[in-house]
Amino acid sequence: MSNAIAEPQVIDLSLGELDLVDEIKELGGEELLECIQCAKCAAVCPMALAGFPFFNKRVIQAILIGSRETLLDDSSIWACQSCNRCTEICPRQVRPFEIILAMRRVAVREFALPTLTTDGLKSLFDVGHAVYLKEAGKSRKKVGLPEKPPSTLAHPQALRELQAIMRKTALAELGIIPMGEAEVAGSCEV
Amino acid sequence: MKVGFFVGCNTAFNRPDLEQAVRFALPALGVELDDLEGQSCCPTWGTLPSIDLVGWCALGARNFALAEEKGLDMVTVCGSCYGSLAESKHKMLHDPELKAGVNAMLKEIGREFKGTSNIRQAVNFLYKEAGPEKIGAALRYRLDGLTVAVQPGCHSLWPSEVYVDPEEDSFHPAVLREMCAALGASAPYYSRLTDCCGMGGMRSTDMERSFKLVLTKLASIKEEIDPDLIVTGCSSCLIQLDTAQAFLQKDRLIDYEIPVLHYMQLLALCLGADPQQITGLAKTNVSRVVNRIRGDENE
Repeated sequence: MSNAIAEPQVIDLSLGELDLVDEIKELGGEELLECIQCAKCAAVCPMALAGFPFFNKRVIQAILIGSRETLLDDSSIWACQSCNRCTEICPRQVRPFEIILAMRRVAVREFALPTLTTDGLKSLFDVGHAVYLKEAGKSRKKVGLPEKPPSTLAHPQALRELQAIMRKTALAELGIIPMGEAEVAGSCEV
Repeated sequence: MKVGFFVGCNTAFNRPDLEQAVRFALPALGVELDDLEGQSCCPTWGTLPSIDLVGWCALGARNFALAEEKGLDMVTVCGSCYGSLAESKHKMLHDPELKAGVNAMLKEIGREFKGTSNIRQAVNFLYKEAGPEKIGAALRYRLDGLTVAVQPGCHSLWPSEVYVDPEEDSFHPAVLREMCAALGASAPYYSRLTDCCGMGGMRSTDMERSFKLVLTKLASIKEEIDPDLIVTGCSSCLIQLDTAQAFLQKDRLIDYEIPVLHYMQLLALCLGADPQQITGLAKTNVSRVVNRIRGDENE
């Protein structure tokens, strides 16, 4: 965080992949082209405050010049807190958070997703909870609760419903996680 | 009044003491809880919302359907559950094609999303349905003389258009401060009050940057109001602020510790719950403040 002056970087705009804009619009970022890069979203963004190289405004900028690899090579889009300060403040109703989600969907389709995301998806499919601690039964008992919460974890039929839904999502086509017979997974903290 | 308790993942597995606090405090205030058997993950942001809009909404809609079938609203103490469910409902109600697509998926499991139940965040729910006065009158212990720093949490505030119990001004939230005042505490403003805690996707991606947000917030809290306690409105903020302080101490970035509780834990405590059951899994040392509240000086 000490390198206050960034190295100047030349970007060859002719190498931009302009179909990225259409992809983003198709995957949930419909208002992308309304953005005027005013940076109100950046002013309220926790990622900008924490020092991530690509926060809402810069993600949009990179998409607009078609710099797909820049975004796929950087983990910033996965650090978005989904807090929606940007959605609230945007004077153009761009919904920058939706654009970050759309960019994640692009990345997933190129299998550029963090291991923890894959783990979370697997856990969601296996037990119905993205965050699941196998040892939690003990601490639940310690505070006087049943070992399992009243969720898919305690209701196999409900888990089968959830799995039937998940098999109908884009996740099934992508084949990122095994979606066969359910097994109980290990711990997963997302 | 009866509501469905949407437990979520982090509360059920990381902080079941918070789950127990909800199970104590809401009934004590006359709100009956239904378990919504078979509920699942909301689903949270890093999972299906990052893959596929219809899939996100379909899992959310299945949770809503469980509540709709019983004619109940859902209440949660988790910001992510609140945000994910409220946003998915908002999307489905404003996009008939999306709703139809989701219902086609739900039909195969014999369920339907109508949009008749709401997802509500526990503190804002109580503020509206019980109100500070009724809560104040029901207390066994009060927080007079205590100063607390409030951390409402991002998802109880934004995007305000998707919530049924929004703040009047989401960038200057008042509900959690008023609800702490109802317990007798002083809950002053501090300049980083609406700052994000850094949990969630940020902590999974880059713990150092995530803790930088905690440090900025703690510095503001400590220097400006030096409270006895931090009170959160969100289970993720609870986990982050409760666990991060040990790391920051180890790295010699802070030389103090401020105990952290979720509002529902503090409320349950004031209503007379067993402290071990409702705060027993805290990593910060909450026993001193708990004893002070209960007047158990010798414990």
